[in-house]
Amino acid sequence: MTELVSILDGNTFVVSDRRGDIEPSYATPTGLFSFDTRFLSTWLLTLDGERLHALSIDDAQSYRTRYFLVPGEPVHYIDTKVSVIRHRAIGGSLTEELTLLNHSDREMRFSLRLAMGSDFADLFEVKQRGRKRGTVIPTVGENELRLTYRREAFHRATVITSSAPVEVDQGGMTWSITVGAHEEWSTRLHVSEMIYAAGGEDVRASTPLSGTRSPEAIRAEQQQLIGTAPKLGCDCEPLAGAYRQSLNDLGALRYESIALGVRLLAAGLPWFMTLFGRDSMLTSLQVLPFLPELVPPTITMLAGLQGFRLDDFRDEEPGKILHELRYGETAGFEEQPHSPYYGSADSTPLFVILLDEYERWTGDATLVRQLEFSARAALDWIDSYGDLLGTGYLWYQTRNPETGLANQCWKDSWDSISYADGRLPGFPRATCELQGYAYDAKLRGARMARLFWNDPAYADRLEREAAALKERFNRDFWLPDREHYALAFDPHCQPVDALSSNIGHLLWSGIVPEDRAESIARHLMSPRLFSGWGVRTLATDQGRYNPIGYHVGTVWPFDNAFIAWGLARYGFREEAGRICEGMLSASRHFGGRLPEAFAGYARDLTDYPVRYPTACSPQAWSAGTPLLLLRVMLGLEPQGEHLIIDPAVPEGMGRVELLDIPGRWGRVDALGRSRGPHDNTRDH
Amino acid sequence: MYEATEEFFAALPARAPSVLRGPVRGTLQIALTTDHHTDYWLLRLAPHQAVVTRGRGPADAVLSSSAEFFERLVTGRAQGISAVLRNEATFSGNVLLFLAFRRFFPARPGARDPRELARDQLRRSG
Repeated sequence: MTELVSILDGNTFVVSDRRGDIEPSYATPTGLFSFDTRFLSTWLLTLDGERLHALSIDDAQSYRTRYFLVPGEPVHYIDTKVSVIRHRAIGGSLTEELTLLNHSDREMRFSLRLAMGSDFADLFEVKQRGRKRGTVIPTVGENELRLTYRREAFHRATVITSSAPVEVDQGGMTWSITVGAHEEWSTRLHVSEMIYAAGGEDVRASTPLSGTRSPEAIRAEQQQLIGTAPKLGCDCEPLAGAYRQSLNDLGALRYESIALGVRLLAAGLPWFMTLFGRDSMLTSLQVLPFLPELVPPTITMLAGLQGFRLDDFRDEEPGKILHELRYGETAGFEEQPHSPYYGSADSTPLFVILLDEYERWTGDATLVRQLEFSARAALDWIDSYGDLLGTGYLWYQTRNPETGLANQCWKDSWDSISYADGRLPGFPRATCELQGYAYDAKLRGARMARLFWNDPAYADRLEREAAALKERFNRDFWLPDREHYALAFDPHCQPVDALSSNIGHLLWSGIVPEDRAESIARHLMSPRLFSGWGVRTLATDQGRYNPIGYHVGTVWPFDNAFIAWGLARYGFREEAGRICEGMLSASRHFGGRLPEAFAGYARDLTDYPVRYPTACSPQAWSAGTPLLLLRVMLGLEPQGEHLIIDPAVPEGMGRVELLDIPGRWGRVDALGRSRGPHDNTRDH
Repeated sequence: MYEATEEFFAALPARAPSVLRGPVRGTLQIALTTDHHTDYWLLRLAPHQAVVTRGRGPADAVLSSSAEFFERLVTGRAQGISAVLRNEATFSGNVLLFLAFRRFFPARPGARDPRELARDQLRRSG
């Protein structure tokens, strides 16, 4: 597979090969994308009819790249009289500075051509090779090529301009140029992605935050965001690198929601550059101690888009929090249900959990009061529409078998939920972590009802329900002979008995009684689940285990961050520390940027974490992982008006110092230091 | 001519207390076009309250579509956000007003309660 290079700004991104070229492709999402539409599918540079080859690329920044190119195959040696630099930046729109350098000592003539085209594919058509219903019309202008796509009133355009004079045809631009000895020539290309409203104006022109920003503005904005985050001082370079990279990536993944006028976090490049309920809330929980200002827009939009009616196509029900919101053609014409799609059973309890956690850190009671109705509707959903079989558990089953999701938990691939022997259960299904989230949501709902909604009777009721759920769950889901919880319930309320990472989330939710926590911790850290880098999604001796199976054996950084949080909650600090150490060591092999997932091979087998073939990167909740791990290692926990700091830094990590942690206390510092036989040399 | 639309607006004030429960406040202009003319409605929305008048006025947000499309919207047969994405309806201004307003729209005709569906299927499969 050709290595791909990506740059992004919010949900606008470019994926090209190492030469900077884009060729039409359905297998991989190459091209220029914005708001789920591909605006360029061909962008191919030739010099005198020849393709160029990359000497090197500079991709140190998330929003710009430089490609250093020469003609001819670099087989033996490079002895070229000419080279080309493509300097590409993205800031809502795309700019590319093309520079041609004549290294010879005489004047030379060149014909430089850039083939251009767009299929205007919706991201879902890239995945599924859909056929376009609308038509693309190229229009040649002076130094400008305009590609227009129309389907009924749906209207998109790509407008490409060149600063240097150029011959334009329907398939691209050709520069016939003469460059003097040791001189250079350049042109600046600008590519605008136009999203037209029915009246013909660009949609983003009327939104409060401008869609197009210069690279300098992006840099300034990212710096400003990073500037507000706590400062990390530490001896452990992987930790410092991962923290830096995470803040950069979280800054880059912020996008302005079309017509919504707020900055939201996109979930991950390239497939998930949009708002996901689950991803945005779990990421919000991770970043709360560091960047609390990222959280209110997410909560507010999710509340605004809360389900209010029954709609089978979208799996919508009153009170339900969305799964995925898309902006493209397939969502608009209802070929896909993402307008928004509500097929997730965990986003609704997570909404209540996040709102409460947000207040505990920030003291922002106003938001909790404003969203009382939304939070109550979410809590009501758990016990009404969420309890499909009336058993007191949270279940899921799509009413849209064609384009809906079968598995509506975080492990949402088709084969993620299985019995230990590999069989797949029927529907509906009730996975265990959903019950943990429901329990936590009820307790947190009770706290908010008592403190902010002036409804102690409701608080009492929620607490009684939570206690009953805990008792019921521990009676029904516990597998006494194996001493762990079942992964799920099948439609006949029989346990789906696989051993999976889901049990780690139960610790985070607090639904595990103290006397069972130790055996859960033991399972999580056993070689069946713990690879040495982290906890696998599925244990190695289970029927469907596959170290490179998406949800059946890979290691997911975000999953591990929540598991570490859960372990720490029950006092298993050393075990949590091992996960922190494993994750941070793994991050070193990915340049500080933890991917969506990596392979589940044992650490001592490969010595490095094996990349999952199509992992998304950067991915918001993976970028949030080092932040949550820091919280876990430093033992940060808000209590009333104070921040409790109770560090337990893993052996060998040395000093970990986090300065200016924002919250209702103002700003405070936390300092931790590892203590162990290997730490003496680090003391100085 | 568009009876459902007329009935929909007439019922809004009485329905507002149970529908508008969030932190919503502002004026929404609705413009509905037919071949010959445009009908305007002005909605002042606040918690538990909706005041409906015919005509134009200063507004924090504007929703426009054909009168025929709006008739489908208020009978649950069409959905607002997908319509905006494909430009069958247009929206500008404070989006929270639009999101609050769409809560007045009914369920899709024929939509099923997921609980009945799950329990029916389970019974049938034995």
